[in-house]
Amino acid sequence: MSPADSQQSCRQVAPLLVFYAYGETDEKEVALIEQHLTVCAACSAQLAEEKKFHALLTLQPQEADRLDGSGLLLSQCRSELAENLDDIVRPPVLEKTPVFSAFRRWMALRPVWSGAALVFVGVLAGVQATQWYAARGTANTLGLEVNVRPAPHISDDQLSKMAVAGINFMPATGSGTQNVRVQLNAEQPMELSGSMADPDVKRVVMYMVKNGDRFDPGTRLDCLEALKEEAKDSEVRDALLAAARKDPNPAVRLKALEALRDSTSDDAVRELLMDTLKHDTNPGVRVEAVNLLVGSLEKPDASGEGMPVAGMPPIPGSDAVSATAAAEAQGASSSTVIRELEVLQHHDPSRYVRLRSAAALRQLNARSDR
Amino acid sequence: MPLPRLAFALADESGQSGSSNAALATGTTLNQLEERTLVQEAQAGNRLAFEELVRRYDRDVLRLALNLMKRTEDARDVYQEAFLKVYRNLHRFRFECSFYTWLYRIVTNVCLDHLRRRQARPEDQAPEAHPAHYEEGITDFFERQKEQRPSADPERHLIGQEIQKRLASAMECLSPRERVVFEMKHYQGLKLRAIGDALGTSEETVKNSLFRATRKLRSQLGELR
Repeated sequence: MSPADSQQSCRQVAPLLVFYAYGETDEKEVALIEQHLTVCAACSAQLAEEKKFHALLTLQPQEADRLDGSGLLLSQCRSELAENLDDIVRPPVLEKTPVFSAFRRWMALRPVWSGAALVFVGVLAGVQATQWYAARGTANTLGLEVNVRPAPHISDDQLSKMAVAGINFMPATGSGTQNVRVQLNAEQPMELSGSMADPDVKRVVMYMVKNGDRFDPGTRLDCLEALKEEAKDSEVRDALLAAARKDPNPAVRLKALEALRDSTSDDAVRELLMDTLKHDTNPGVRVEAVNLLVGSLEKPDASGEGMPVAGMPPIPGSDAVSATAAAEAQGASSSTVIRELEVLQHHDPSRYVRLRSAAALRQLNARSDR
Repeated sequence: MPLPRLAFALADESGQSGSSNAALATGTTLNQLEERTLVQEAQAGNRLAFEELVRRYDRDVLRLALNLMKRTEDARDVYQEAFLKVYRNLHRFRFECSFYTWLYRIVTNVCLDHLRRRQARPEDQAPEAHPAHYEEGITDFFERQKEQRPSADPERHLIGQEIQKRLASAMECLSPRERVVFEMKHYQGLKLRAIGDALGTSEETVKNSLFRATRKLRSQLGELR
């Protein structure tokens, strides 16, 4: 080893000798020191001095031995401590479930980071709250706009598992259709908003109407209100028919019948009305069915032809053959209605239904007499 | 010699704490409990368990306090203040370090506070004389050291006295932190990492303090070696 190398090693090793004497050097340092000591007399001497110094200090009696060699002071201290413990209020017991203790401790030890984190959280909350408030207060006035989040398509499985947290109807302005906003609690909460022309919105609303046992009656009534405008759609009509037949709530069934008011020319609707007359347990619903049947027999149908009452001649049209066939079918239907009304007039358990049936028969007879 | 009051305290408390844990009803059983169990019991409000913890460590604590403060009254104050702090704050101990480390953190902080206060009042820095020597009319500090080691030969004893004098003087040159580090390393034999944990600082800082302390002491005691 050159003198320069040795000098450099001395500069590295000398400060370590204090810790080497205390056994506080790591393996790498120990190797370096021991290798250096074999060639450096100065450092060896310094180490010897360190060891001598330690021995000298160790030989000296400690203050503790001088001041309390007998252990009397320790006994006195214990006694005083016991007295002091008697005097002080019992300390709080351990919190079994510390709330965010690690987080609070982290924050306490890092005030700058904690401050920055709090500012960030505050800004984030402020921005989000502003957006939320704006979205909450602004009605969607564009009827045709569709805003579906997060997925545009809802599967049958999702439908079967969903629950409805809220449904809002926003009246459309201008020529647009009514807007619906539905908040769903499915596997992934979502919100649908858009007009009833939107397939997903319509599907969800129809699903709620068809599955009356799973949703709130108030929600179903809202849905029926929304579907009323779309009753001409065959799918919507099927949903309305299902609700009118099977919904456990009479108010919902009544609302479904009302929604079908403009579709009484449809055979399925008329069949439903007849079934309602015969089987519905609620007198109010049966009366509504009577009203709809009478109305359907009185008003002109979509082609401008009135539905003939039994005994009335068919109304001539441009297509004589089809008109005749239709008239025959409708004539048969009206006679069925009249027969059913006559049954109700005498046998319905509800007095109100009996009276309404009698009034309906008089109304129809008066019309046929004219 | 007055009886340790702790014995009475144990007897008084045994009836109260018997319902909480029958295993802690006797001192013998307490001795056999693991430290963690004792700490948990003490945290749950068991006074006996706390006093057992005190007994396990208070000898070392008092020794450290005496070596650092060099006066029985100051050491006594440190002892009381430290263990009362431990008692009041035990519910905050979360086992993130050993109880020993946590205790020493409190003890060293109390010692440092006392040393710093004393440093601000130079009149309080003189080491305390042994009370028995005053009764004999011996007022000289080094004269009083004779009786402690009657078997020592006169020359060696004289050197020892001189070393002690220099050592006491040299210790006064150390900062409170250096003094605590040197005491914990040299006389208590703690590892530097443990000292760092107790002082709430890094091992590197402790190394620096120890290095400075040994340099100062060696320079003060140089010609005696």
